[in-house]
Amino acid sequence: MSWGEARDKLRSWREENERRSLEVVDLWDTYLQSNIHKLGDERLLVWEQVCVAALDCNRMDVVDICLVSLATEFPSSMRVRKLQAMKLEALEKYDEALELLDQIIKRDETNAAPRKRRVAILKAIGKIVDAIKELNEYLRKFMSDQEAWQELCELYLIEQDYAKAAFCMEELILHNPHNHLIHQRYADIKYTQGGLENMEIARAHYALALKLNQNNMRALYGALLTATNVLSMSKSLPAPKKKECSKLIAWASKQIRNRYEEVSGHAAENELEALNGMLGALQIAGSTSS
Amino acid sequence: MAATAVHRFIFIVGITSLLHAAYSAAQHRAYLRITEQEFLSLPIDILIQGIVSLFVTMYGIMTLAGEFKEIRSTVDLESKSWETYRNCPSFYTFNHRGKALSPYYDPPVD
Repeated sequence: MSWGEARDKLRSWREENERRSLEVVDLWDTYLQSNIHKLGDERLLVWEQVCVAALDCNRMDVVDICLVSLATEFPSSMRVRKLQAMKLEALEKYDEALELLDQIIKRDETNAAPRKRRVAILKAIGKIVDAIKELNEYLRKFMSDQEAWQELCELYLIEQDYAKAAFCMEELILHNPHNHLIHQRYADIKYTQGGLENMEIARAHYALALKLNQNNMRALYGALLTATNVLSMSKSLPAPKKKECSKLIAWASKQIRNRYEEVSGHAAENELEALNGMLGALQIAGSTSS
Repeated sequence: MAATAVHRFIFIVGITSLLHAAYSAAQHRAYLRITEQEFLSLPIDILIQGIVSLFVTMYGIMTLAGEFKEIRSTVDLESKSWETYRNCPSFYTFNHRGKALSPYYDPPVD
């Protein structure tokens, strides 16, 4: 691999939003550190990316190289200050980090990034309830921040407050109605919540996720499980609904079987048999509990 | 469709020809004004040159502008997994076990 390929890889990870910290630091060590002047203006983005990745891997030597280069390039930048605060965080000097972040917020009240870091610090020291409070405060000011809604959802899930987590996901669905992952996640949360009504909602959203992306295996299994559960939960289900659920079960299990056949070919008879057994067991469990 | 030298050439020819047509039209108007004739329509050759070079330029720019994007909005998302989607860089926390894998890790002393 050449330094150009390493640069392209870092770029694609940056755009795809992947964490891959260890790989980023490795690429930096092997290819980019000695070629950083060849990158042109992209070097600034690479420094930032590598800096965060190195913080993730506790490679303070790399962090210092990136921070010093960035600070000489932009002596008064708030973005570099934020990175310095993140370094303090990684060194577990949380009070100093908070102080630095407060300074940044004071200088520029519209800057969202340091406010998010405050939430991350609270999360890091385990004060989830405070983090939730802080993030709610933040979302009152920056309502269209999708990342923040997602993080709030995760925090509520840690606290097992499923109803509120589901609300955050609903908010995200409004932002991105065509994203199958969000529908799937929302259905997951509703399924975990339980109850006939939630199960019906989960079933609908799994179906929507499948409509948006046929290859979503988790949504397929979800549709199968929710339909089975709906059938078994209520005794007085009207006949057309019962039929609909059984149809969905049959369809989903057929799809799952097809997918396994596609991927493993006909050689994997054993796997398919195990799958058939599992699907059968699911249906038996569904019918006995009804 | 990758942008090659040929495509770039087509684009340059198209845009030059388009400018040329515009210039010819202006000239034609000027000529009419001098000879005090009434303007009815552009001569057919300028009209044809204008339209043809417009299409040539359009073709050229289409190849130069890069790959087309899928019109269905879900296609981009199909290959993504929840793990990549849920990853938000602005909420990273660093006190995880990755620290212990670093060569510079000092285990805490009790």
